Amino acid sequence: MTPTEPHADATTRVLGIETSCDETAAAVVTGGNDVRSSVVSSQVDIHARYGGVVPEIASRAHVDLLTPVIAQALVEAGMADGEVDAVAATNGPGLVGSLLVGVSTAKALALVWGVPFVAVNHLEAHLYATLLEDPSLELPALVLLVSGGHTLLIAMEDHGRYRLLGSTVDDAAGEAFDKVARYLGLGYPGGPAIDRVALDGDPTAIAFPRAMRGDGFDFSFSGLKTSVINHVRKHPEATTADVAASFQEAVVDTLVDKARRAAREMGARSMCLGGGVAANSVLRERFLSACVEDGFHGFLPSRAMCTDNAAMVAAAGWWRLRADGPSPLDTGADPNLRLPLAG
Amino acid sequence: MLILGLESATAQVGCAIGGHEGVLASAHSARSKRHAENLTPAIEFVCHQARVELAEIGCVAVDHGPGLFTGLRVGVASGKAIAQALRVPMIAVSSLDLLAFPVRFSNRRIAAVVDARRSEVFWAFYRQVPGGVQRITEPTVGSPDDLSAELLALPGDTLMVGDGAVRYADQLSDQPGIELAGADLAHPSADSLVQLAHARALREEWVRPDEVELLYLRKPDAEINWSTREGV
Ligand SMILES: [Zn+2]
Repeated sequence: MTPTEPHADATTRVLGIETSCDETAAAVVTGGNDVRSSVVSSQVDIHARYGGVVPEIASRAHVDLLTPVIAQALVEAGMADGEVDAVAATNGPGLVGSLLVGVSTAKALALVWGVPFVAVNHLEAHLYATLLEDPSLELPALVLLVSGGHTLLIAMEDHGRYRLLGSTVDDAAGEAFDKVARYLGLGYPGGPAIDRVALDGDPTAIAFPRAMRGDGFDFSFSGLKTSVINHVRKHPEATTADVAASFQEAVVDTLVDKARRAAREMGARSMCLGGGVAANSVLRERFLSACVEDGFHGFLPSRAMCTDNAAMVAAAGWWRLRADGPSPLDTGADPNLRLPLAG
Repeated sequence: MLILGLESATAQVGCAIGGHEGVLASAHSARSKRHAENLTPAIEFVCHQARVELAEIGCVAVDHGPGLFTGLRVGVASGKAIAQALRVPMIAVSSLDLLAFPVRFSNRRIAAVVDARRSEVFWAFYRQVPGGVQRITEPTVGSPDDLSAELLALPGDTLMVGDGAVRYADQLSDQPGIELAGADLAHPSADSLVQLAHARALREEWVRPDEVELLYLRKPDAEINWSTREGV
């Protein structure tokens, strides 16, 4: 096909598949923005007793859950099998064994239905989660992507054109939440647990350090985790609520501070949040007020769209298909896949 | 009825199509370890070679293990997807059955042995019956020494087959009466899978895609550690 004949248009129905970590998800999205169905089967309960995602257990669960999840997504979208126009699946970054279940399934379906297969970068999919809910989002946009695996500041200049402005040099923000929550005995996953407990605490009770605050756009959270542990050892009288609230405050402070500076520097028109940690209530509130103060168009995806889902994979797949055409059927998974960066 | 067979339990990945006329076309690649990359193009190629459209397939057969976990999942996930999309049933066959089948004309006991990595093997014993082989022990996982001890305790001669038997040949076949089948039979083949599945399909011994379960024979590491910690 020539560039004047796009591979995808407003009627193209994409089945998206997401299995990069502990969510088994499938969704149907038409035309890159009309979500017809989005089914997510979370394995969080399966992994909770281990205090984190166990890769082999996740892979096993994906094999059992994926086929019924896809069937449900097709039924909810009111579609017969043959009506799908393309199948998109996350092929990285993530847990390799889990990714392979989704990629293999997607390629097999594409082959049976005789439609294109599209490999999708999970991070790019998170960027599209925002555009799915706010198609009017003005570009260039600054995206703060925070999850258990990533802490990234990305300049989204256009569809498929990104620049990485900063990332974490050690732990991801979500990882810090999980580790601190485990230390405080709050259980797994750590993000929602700390969010809940911190409601009763004083965020100014303890002045935890804001690492690397002044310099650049990179983050560091492992020192903060150590400070929390040291503080609790030295001050056993400190309430868990105060520790959780002060820890959360330090993380949110750093994230929002760098995001707004990055947005100013890149000349962004909008700012948006993405990733599992974007479900944190304090982060959402502070991020939005920073946007208002600085005059950026701010957008927060719904909580369901922040965490891993397949609608964002289908949407990103639609854009990839339109721009680059189908991916080859010998595509594999890449656990360390990077965001395709420009400039 | 045409059967599509997907085989991915060991380092080899393969695909075959066949029915009452036998195997119409098949393709295998050994040494690849790139199961996910190779399997889908192999299915496309084999369909083309057999002059068969996927829509004509009446049943999808998979090797459900034991074997290498990631490879198995690639084959089983692909098979479930195809069966679900075509709305056809599935047949799951054990990798050990597939190894024993090509040496079915032996009148010795057959030991099918798959390399389980981490210094372990999966195995089961078979005996000859009219038209094929019959499994006489449950599939097991253990060290080559465990298998060796079991072989030593058994009367009569044994023919060993499989990549586990090849890898630990020195340890396993240093006793009299134990012989190793050729290395060309070391991996389960998609051809055997289609042949065995066809016999079962005639008896309508098939399942729905969501009923196919993998035969891991080994718990995930975290679960093992957890059980030790809890003392259960
Ligand atoms: Zn994610």
